[in-house]
Amino acid sequence: MRKARRVESRALKSTQADSMEFQNNIIGTDDLVLVTGAGGFIGPHLVESLLRHGLRNLRVFVRPSSNFRKLQEIVAEQGKRARIELMQGNLLSREDSRAATKGATVIFHLATGNGNSFPDAFMNSVVTTRNLLDASVEHGCLRRFVNISSFAVYSNVGKPRWRLLDESSPVEQNAGSSRDAYCFAKVKQDELVIEYGKRFAIPYVIVRPGSVFGPGKAAITGRVGNGAFGIYLHLGGSNPIPLTYVANCADAIALAGLAKGVEGEVFNVLDDDLPSSRRFLRLYKKHVAPFRSIYVPHAVSYMFCWLWEKYSRWSEGQLPLAFNRSRWHSEWKKTRYSNDKLKTRLGWTPKVPMAEGLDRFFTACRERGQNA
Amino acid sequence: MLKVALIGCGKIADVHASQIKKIEGCEIVGACDNEPLMARQLCERFPVRQAFTSLDALLDQSRPDVVHVTTPPASHFEIAKRCLERGCHVYVEKPFTVNVQQAEMLITLANQRSLKLTVGHDDQFTPVARKMRSLVQSGYLGGPPVHMESYYCYNLTDDRYARALLGDRGHWVRRLPGKLLHNVISHGIARIAEFLSTDSPHVIAHGFASQLLKGIGEDEIVDELRVIVSDRGKTTAYFTFSSQLRPSLHNFRIFGRKNGIVIDRDQETLLKLRGARFKSYAEIFIPPVNFALQYLKNLATNAKTFASRDLHMKSGMEHLITRFYAAIREGQPVPIPYREIILTARIMDKVFEQLAVEHLVDTGTAWDIVRPTATADSLHAIHPSSQLAVGVNTKTDEHLR
Repeated sequence: MRKARRVESRALKSTQADSMEFQNNIIGTDDLVLVTGAGGFIGPHLVESLLRHGLRNLRVFVRPSSNFRKLQEIVAEQGKRARIELMQGNLLSREDSRAATKGATVIFHLATGNGNSFPDAFMNSVVTTRNLLDASVEHGCLRRFVNISSFAVYSNVGKPRWRLLDESSPVEQNAGSSRDAYCFAKVKQDELVIEYGKRFAIPYVIVRPGSVFGPGKAAITGRVGNGAFGIYLHLGGSNPIPLTYVANCADAIALAGLAKGVEGEVFNVLDDDLPSSRRFLRLYKKHVAPFRSIYVPHAVSYMFCWLWEKYSRWSEGQLPLAFNRSRWHSEWKKTRYSNDKLKTRLGWTPKVPMAEGLDRFFTACRERGQNA
Repeated sequence: MLKVALIGCGKIADVHASQIKKIEGCEIVGACDNEPLMARQLCERFPVRQAFTSLDALLDQSRPDVVHVTTPPASHFEIAKRCLERGCHVYVEKPFTVNVQQAEMLITLANQRSLKLTVGHDDQFTPVARKMRSLVQSGYLGGPPVHMESYYCYNLTDDRYARALLGDRGHWVRRLPGKLLHNVISHGIARIAEFLSTDSPHVIAHGFASQLLKGIGEDEIVDELRVIVSDRGKTTAYFTFSSQLRPSLHNFRIFGRKNGIVIDRDQETLLKLRGARFKSYAEIFIPPVNFALQYLKNLATNAKTFASRDLHMKSGMEHLITRFYAAIREGQPVPIPYREIILTARIMDKVFEQLAVEHLVDTGTAWDIVRPTATADSLHAIHPSSQLAVGVNTKTDEHLR
């Protein structure tokens, strides 16, 4: 396999407690689990969560360009309790995808494309997913494919303010023309997984995290506002932000991959006690660094997005479609969120309370000298 | 209606598709990529009639008049050749080919078949580049250029740019004869080639890896290049490529016996440099006023262009495509003379040959490069298993553009 490198650690015998826990899971503790995109923000937390769930046979897949220092620390730390295989490669390579998926019973597909262009984002999200799915069909041992999607796929257009956005909400239908490259790629990735589920009976679960935050994440989510114009425009106002602390999110993903009886389901991931955009910004300024911001009322921000979109289309892209009504509906319209399904179907609870999560995040931002 | 097809559905194909759809009297009848998903996604987002994964199927079924080749450079020659053989006019993204022999073969073939070719040197057609060309042609320089300076920089410290290339030892850019340089310097070299009168200039090149790259253990990529080009004593030129220089310039200066001109691609500005001096202290006070007025004029022009929705990042490409299509439909001259395409390729070949020697002398090891010869068969023989040789695959990591 091209560029693949493996670092393996010793396996140890399972404990009785682990066996008890695994009675409710679709796989045993020694079954092989693959985590793609393991070098990313959520990846190391997911690995830790899976280890906490008693899994002892993990393969973690990273790009050669990834910084996987944290994963190496986990391998070094957990090496006596589990077998963790660190594999480097490129999921655009079918050969690498075959090697990565060989023997895997559950795949947690975190790897994604973050490119600004549609082809880049699409290729690194959809083509890679197709390669993994094809390889899994070939191997024939997959018990579940956990596709990590995003809140970005939801369409909120035409819905009343303060409506509940949950797993039953419609997904964006025109992402190629009205949303950004990331949203388009994630919509297409979800469609592909569903298609493979139908055509090849691949058991899958789709997980859609909200805004994942925690130490190591860069600054403030765009749902709060935008600093592109020199001064920070606060656009969220009293909207709750669908935040999920990275460790809580990783726990939810782990459960989505292991719990019985949830094939074909979609789970949104967000924590309890969601802060409003205004409160989040106030806390950030207080605990990280003060900076100037201007609150833009919803009617004004909507008008701004409408004008920007009109001009962008009239000028045939002289200004990119960075602000538009679809984005406004998705990110800045007053909307309620729910994590009921996550709790009732998977038994998930956020282990890190929101206040503590925010505190850890702000502390890390302060230490890194980060500012919006 | 001119029928257009795209081969390769990566980021630059998006740019082509978005420019083509602005041009009247043409239609994109097909898009082709080795990867069916990539072909499909482009067809879904643009008005493209049909997606293909085979070049022959596209040529057979869509029967395009013009084909845009937007695949990785190593495949340009083979694909363009096949399209010409099937009677299509061809727009090849830069770099035109991986060496001058291939460039000459394609041009010979196009001439034999009375077909048109062009290369994606769209920087030559931005508003200021066109204005500069008009000025030079009007005799503003006072005769042929005496000296030129072309800066074409690249911000390799920007994570987006560097990650794909530096992290992937198998990246297709590394397999090109000039590696990173091969994919990016042709815009800057073409500016010089346009104004040289000889077909075989003297070239002296010096390249090295920046301290930044050395610091992260990168030993293959040359990201600092200085070149002297001499037109047998008539015209000289300096070319600078740098990943570390700030500001990261895309700047061209041309000097004649009478006056000079400076254009800046990033700022879309053109400055006329007056050759004659003012008397005494007037030389200190009047030129700054003159420059200030010129900058104000540039500002007004840019504002006007913006207001008339023609200040797109790739307006040069739209103009180049429009001119190329006019050449096809109305028999006008091709927008980029074939001599300029060949000369650009020849200068680049000479640069890369010298860098390879320099690398051998400095490190004692040969540059691990592809040495493609002129024919497709030998290309394939060099990399029988590689998509790079003849594939129709997506040109990715387009931030390298």
